[in-house]
Amino acid sequence: MDIESILKDLEQLPPFPTVVAQALTLLDSPDSSAMDVVKVVQYDQAITANVLKVCNSAYFGLPGKVSSLREAVIRLGNKQLKEIILTGTVVKYYKNAMEGYALSKHDLWKHAISTAIISRIISKRFPGVDEGAVFTAGLLHDVGKTILDSVVDEYFNQMFALVGEKGYSFTEAEQEVLGLDHAEIGARMGELWGFPKEIVHAIRFHHAPPEGDESDLVTQVVYLGNVICLMLGIGVGRQGLHVRGRDEILEQHGMDINDLQVIMAGFLDEYQKVQDIIDLG
Amino acid sequence: MDISDLKVSNNPDVTLVTYSLGSCIGLAVWDPEVRVGGMLHYMLPDSSISQEKAKANPAMFADTGIPALFKACYKLGAQKQRMIVKVAGGAQLMDESGFFNIGKRNYAALRKMFWRNKVMVAAEDIGGMVNRTIRLNIGTGELIMKVSGKGEGLL
Repeated sequence: MDIESILKDLEQLPPFPTVVAQALTLLDSPDSSAMDVVKVVQYDQAITANVLKVCNSAYFGLPGKVSSLREAVIRLGNKQLKEIILTGTVVKYYKNAMEGYALSKHDLWKHAISTAIISRIISKRFPGVDEGAVFTAGLLHDVGKTILDSVVDEYFNQMFALVGEKGYSFTEAEQEVLGLDHAEIGARMGELWGFPKEIVHAIRFHHAPPEGDESDLVTQVVYLGNVICLMLGIGVGRQGLHVRGRDEILEQHGMDINDLQVIMAGFLDEYQKVQDIIDLG
Repeated sequence: MDISDLKVSNNPDVTLVTYSLGSCIGLAVWDPEVRVGGMLHYMLPDSSISQEKAKANPAMFADTGIPALFKACYKLGAQKQRMIVKVAGGAQLMDESGFFNIGKRNYAALRKMFWRNKVMVAAEDIGGMVNRTIRLNIGTGELIMKVSGKGEGLL
């Protein structure tokens, strides 16, 4: 297995479920009604089932059990509905255990959902950032790992030598040894799936937000969400914390280590409510 | 055990496990005389950021979690002077200026409390950029540490 065959595999990537893409477009459109969304989604049973499970998780906190898609659509706002549909859809890409990254089943999904939630908490401190884009990019930021895993497994020793002896971050070692890192693969998946540019950009640069580009808020928020999630030990695997800390991103937004602590403490309340979403993985 | 969690036991068949510590600290204590042990997985150094959260979950912070762990062990008959204390975790990102270094603060908070209360640490594995998991066997007091990608051994 090498990077060429990985890129070839990528051409065969199953499309993002059309019904979901349609539903998300409808939710963004002022001319469509909630019932239009139900009409599109209801024929996909797997997605409908997941959407209901996510709705009924403590995290989204609806009183009483939501038992139909119609009821979910009526009771939820468009923004929440979008998050729930995406969460219920994206989980299937994270289902497998990953030998290369040493992540057991559930680990990467736990990391994805946690990063999305932490990123959303952080976005409150970034006025003007699109929270929906932050949540989506948080969910998808590591999706490239699912494709890159087998090559990482094969070349792990070579990569880990660079990390251990030359001070590379794990992502830099991926670039050096494999020619591409998981963030780039994930961004290409996002492109193939037709995700908006800012989400693809955030996936591509979630380890290295371009310096000097202070306007790129979604990427910066997801960067911080990811590193905080790793510091908390959620879905870390054998890359460990070999990830660069980018001080200037905190500085630019007037944040320091105390803010990180407040974000972590705030996340923990939410984390206890996402167990049933994690169990979907 | 989860993040911000505390468990104690006197059942020799029990093994307490706390996974994937990251910058959090795993503190394991064991009294060989009565074979009582416990583990704490705390996330942050100081409860001053939220008294309310500390009240709801003392295990979140070093300054509230550590006394809670010792007290819970005393209730099962453990005594401070007999307790074997081991510490793991407190990892950090690649960040020379320490802007993100909560792991270091987590460890400093523990050291300060132990110094004040004259608690000796029998073994520790702290810092670096590695991710650790620890298991405490209540029957034998053995503490096994697993470092992701590097295998496991006794601490």
